[in-house]
Amino acid sequence: MSNDAHIVIEGVDMVYEAGQRPLRVLAGIDFSVARGEFVSIIGPSGCGKTTLLRIISGLQEATAGRVLIGGSPPREAQRQKQIGFVFQDPSLLPWRSVIENVRLPLQVNRRSRTARNEALEARGQRERDPEGLISLVGLQAFGRYYPHQLSGGMQQRVALARSFVTSPSVLLMDEPFGALDEITRSAMRFELMRVWRSEAATADCTVIFVTHSIAEAVLLSDRVIVMSPQPGRIAASLDIDLPRPRGEEIEETQPFIDYTRRLRGLLREHALV
Amino acid sequence: MSLQSSHGGVANSLSREETQATGDNRRSPRLSAWLREVVTQALPAVIGLSVAFAAWQAWVELKDIKPYLVPSPSSVAERLYQDPWMFTVEGFKTLEGALLGFLLGAGVAILLASLMSQARFLERSIFPLAILVKVTPIVAIAPLLTIWFGFGLMPKVFIAALIVFFPIMVNALIGFRSVNPTSLALLESLSASRAEVFWRLRLPSALPYLFAAFRFSVPLSVIGAVVAEWFSGDRGLGSVIYIANNNLDMRTAFAGVFMLAILGVGLFLLTAVLERRVLFWHESNWAD
Repeated sequence: MSNDAHIVIEGVDMVYEAGQRPLRVLAGIDFSVARGEFVSIIGPSGCGKTTLLRIISGLQEATAGRVLIGGSPPREAQRQKQIGFVFQDPSLLPWRSVIENVRLPLQVNRRSRTARNEALEARGQRERDPEGLISLVGLQAFGRYYPHQLSGGMQQRVALARSFVTSPSVLLMDEPFGALDEITRSAMRFELMRVWRSEAATADCTVIFVTHSIAEAVLLSDRVIVMSPQPGRIAASLDIDLPRPRGEEIEETQPFIDYTRRLRGLLREHALV
Repeated sequence: MSLQSSHGGVANSLSREETQATGDNRRSPRLSAWLREVVTQALPAVIGLSVAFAAWQAWVELKDIKPYLVPSPSSVAERLYQDPWMFTVEGFKTLEGALLGFLLGAGVAILLASLMSQARFLERSIFPLAILVKVTPIVAIAPLLTIWFGFGLMPKVFIAALIVFFPIMVNALIGFRSVNPTSLALLESLSASRAEVFWRLRLPSALPYLFAAFRFSVPLSVIGAVVAEWFSGDRGLGSVIYIANNNLDMRTAFAGVFMLAILGVGLFLLTAVLERRVLFWHESNWAD
């Protein structure tokens, strides 16, 4: 796996100089993710999951250590729009219609467009058609609607389509379904796998997915990383060896239940303070 | 399965609403809705105004108030009717100064606020100047402006601009800063430039704040223009009122005031209509 590592995180430390004593948020984070792998990071609130994701995306600088995406620093991956980001808040621009929101990533930062298109072509890819992506997430009839006319689940689907429009090689997801109701959340998990696999067929899109939910982590991931808090560090890692595609019925199977139980055990052991 | 049905359910209800709004018999529901709107919105205002004017008329007639102190509404109306062209032309002179001043003041305010939103250093250097402008009584500088700019349009534009400048600048600055942090993170994760963040995120996010400022600074710009006319104008409703006052011609003075009120209400309504058009996406406009 280390040969084919797409994302490498080496000795990442994060310290905030807040108040009298510095606050250590992340301590010695070390792991790598293979190209096309789906990795979930699970842990209690305040264990630095979001900070870690922001460091991987290049939104924030680590105090120590480094992150490489395809061999380059995250800023470079940003410039080439290789990073798709989905947040808990769909954060659609309310003055833009659905289709205009999905189009947004293609419109910003056009200066590096030629370089990026060359990079995409080298991977045998190109920018996605926004209309097609809206259809892919089942919103073809809503292209001209505005965010306030959509439900929370539909808005998050637009955010998902938006994150795929640049054909990113890395998809970072920060509790993307955390604000949705249980029924919609469950539906969105399968929606994500469907879209990701339809992308993955041509794209090998690597996903790092931050979540609070044990079932979500087991269902979606190839590997789950358990983080413990104060300061945030990696406590354990669990490979999920379940066949894909995974449908709703898999949640009833014994292997799934076993994985869930083991993950819960790991969390109880490491993540409770 | 559950996904399909819940999603389909929303789609159905939405498309049903849409057919209702744009369906075959659209004219009559639209017209009746419009009529209902007019009746519910305008009728109470008309009743209120009529009662006030009637009371005024009765008071002047019963108490036999002298016309050079307070004229009756009917005599003011008569005065307007005698000379409608003069009042309209002078009204437009005032409007010209007010609007040009508003555009100048708003333009400078938004420009400075956009600069200040980029760096705290700029904010600390520009803001004290803006406060200085704000606390200086306009009436105190008005005669000075006459000396600088002479009579005519320029002093009007300048004073109207001064009067609208501060409220618009403060609101614009708050607006430019009030962006959704995740939207900002999204743009940053795409390597958007500062300029792109400004045009695509900060400016649209500031629009609700800007319109809140426009609502009351548009009428303020009329006040600014009238103050300027008072001191240095040879044209405009401010001069009309000034001259009429000096001649104890209260009918003309009141007619001028009435025209100014009409102007203010018209501009206010225009701003409100524009706001609804531009901010259709904002919570403040989700009627029902």
